[in-house]
Amino acid sequence: MPIFDQGYQHWSGELTGHTWRWLAITRHGVRIGMKNRLLRLAMMLAWLPALFLAFSLCVWGLLEQKSDLVKPLLGMLSFLGPEILDNPKNYRVEIWTLCYEYFLLTELRFSMIVILLVGPSLISQDLRFNAMPLYFSRPIRRIDYFIGKLGIIGYFLGLVLIVPSLVAYLLGMLFSLDLSIIPDTFPLLLACIGYGLLMTLSAGLLILALSSLSRSSRYVGLFWLGIWFVTSIVGSVLEGVNREQRMHDAYRKSYAMERSIQAGPMPKNPEEQRKRMVEQREAAQKLRAEIYRDELEGAQSDWRPMVSYTGNLARVGQHWLRSDASWQKIGQTVPADARDEFLLRSMGPRYPWYWSLLLLAILFGISVCILNFRVKSLDRLK
Amino acid sequence: MLFQLESVTKTYGAVTALSNLSLSVPTGAVGLLGPNGSGKTTMIRTLLGLITVDKGSGSILDLDFRERQLDIRRQVGFAPEDECLFPRVAGVEFAAYAGELVGMRSKDAMQRAHEVLDYVGLGEARYRRVETYSTGMKQRLKLASAIVHDPKLLILDEPTNGMDPAGREEVIELSRDLAHNKGMSLIFSSHLLQDVEAVCDHIVVLGGGKLLAEGKLKDLKQVHTSCFEIRLKSEPASFAARLNSLGCTTDIREELIVVRVPDGQSQQMLWKAAAEHHEQIRFLRPQRSTLEEVFLKAVEQH
Repeated sequence: MPIFDQGYQHWSGELTGHTWRWLAITRHGVRIGMKNRLLRLAMMLAWLPALFLAFSLCVWGLLEQKSDLVKPLLGMLSFLGPEILDNPKNYRVEIWTLCYEYFLLTELRFSMIVILLVGPSLISQDLRFNAMPLYFSRPIRRIDYFIGKLGIIGYFLGLVLIVPSLVAYLLGMLFSLDLSIIPDTFPLLLACIGYGLLMTLSAGLLILALSSLSRSSRYVGLFWLGIWFVTSIVGSVLEGVNREQRMHDAYRKSYAMERSIQAGPMPKNPEEQRKRMVEQREAAQKLRAEIYRDELEGAQSDWRPMVSYTGNLARVGQHWLRSDASWQKIGQTVPADARDEFLLRSMGPRYPWYWSLLLLAILFGISVCILNFRVKSLDRLK
Repeated sequence: MLFQLESVTKTYGAVTALSNLSLSVPTGAVGLLGPNGSGKTTMIRTLLGLITVDKGSGSILDLDFRERQLDIRRQVGFAPEDECLFPRVAGVEFAAYAGELVGMRSKDAMQRAHEVLDYVGLGEARYRRVETYSTGMKQRLKLASAIVHDPKLLILDEPTNGMDPAGREEVIELSRDLAHNKGMSLIFSSHLLQDVEAVCDHIVVLGGGKLLAEGKLKDLKQVHTSCFEIRLKSEPASFAARLNSLGCTTDIREELIVVRVPDGQSQQMLWKAAAEHHEQIRFLRPQRSTLEEVFLKAVEQH
């Protein structure tokens, strides 16, 4: 029995409007999520690539200023070639683009881990503990509920993708001491923000849809891992098989060519012999160039990387960053006979990016349908 | 007026949940009674603006339930029947979150959550995870989260379900206090008539989606002019036999005799019979219907 019992007291505060009601759900989810030690660890690890990104951009800024501070690093940067190192300002956009591309590719994996740690329980736990009547008997619409839950994913992905991009951008800008960097690189920042939003919408909605399919968050987590790993592995296997097939065709071509050159008896005259060897070498080079050209052309319609879910996200990101154009420009510094090979090895998938966007849009639509079907408002609850 | 319905009809496929229901209920503590499938839950959902009715109109707290659903839910606190929880939180976070969902600011919601948890007697358990609460504690937690924003109307759907007698008494006491001392209107839906009787002063009886009975509890529990309850100083059996011989109908309930006198007779007949039989009447009053009788009569009549 309390010594002094106040009993029930009336409350005279004001309630906020409906517009930001979803934010209460997001705030609550973030508070719960931050209690997870594993998630906090994953977030910290996810910031490591951002440090490398910031470091790279700062080094490039100093290189543009011909600062003595980066002289010890020039040896390490020699792989870029003298043309780029002598005119770093001319290649600023390309280097920034490629740094951001590598950063986003790495963060894509961390994002999948973060979603794995945050997402599976978002709706499944509400279904398990029958929380829906508590939500929908309050001034919460289903759309508020979905946006609130998506906001939780968005918050954590923002911390992994957008905030580090912004911080690195600001640091890189400060170290370049050149205002022209803003118009040059601002589209990159927009691309990073756009990529973060795409990830949130696509992966966020997908994990919410999966989460609504089961009352056990473990199964949802396993399903998510399945989508991530299985599609990536299947995509890689299909690509590998296709590459093997192409290599096999190329080998057959090369073999047929050698046979045609060696058709006659070997000339006894050393001059003739030398001439034939030069012919053979030239033919082999020509064939190799043809193969690389064919590979590059073939990559433009190769759908196999699309099997991987993360591959699709990466492809759209690649396009938004315009990394293909950056590789092309850097490729100009490579000798002409090795350029195709360089581009083939450096550039990622080259199929039309909107194929991936279309696939992600289809997945988005399916996720919306699942959520609409699985999360019922109170009038349809038993 | 707390709420009013005008010719409201709601069907689910071939099932008619509410059939041309018209009703007007004043503010106060309202008991909602009816057998399973009578339309109680559909009526609550209609009032909360959770479902679209096929026909009819109405309002709750002067807000049209067809147009101002979100405003209604801001002013109403609802504790659903089923066991439902926001998972992975402590009791105080649960109540605060419930407040935030209605539109309270975080700080206000947390402060208020502490107050209402103290009020419902969960002050000691406020930092425990809600998954570890007993059934009674969960019911009280639901009540706390329904009143955290100080609603004008509190709707409790079977609030004493699955509770032990002591816990049930506590919830009834809290409901009664809120409705009678704190000026909060209450809709108390329960199949336990004694719970409704203990809390409410206005009753709505539904059956098959129709209104079977409605009114103030004291009016419904009508006084019978030909039926009396008598307690005697001595053993009742012999006097009951005497009354039967005079044309009365008697029913002995422990020390009490319930007597129905013949038409045209009054309680004078009982005094006269007692005097003739040398019996001392210790207690005599006209019989009142119990809520159970009111309910059963209403259900039987329809």
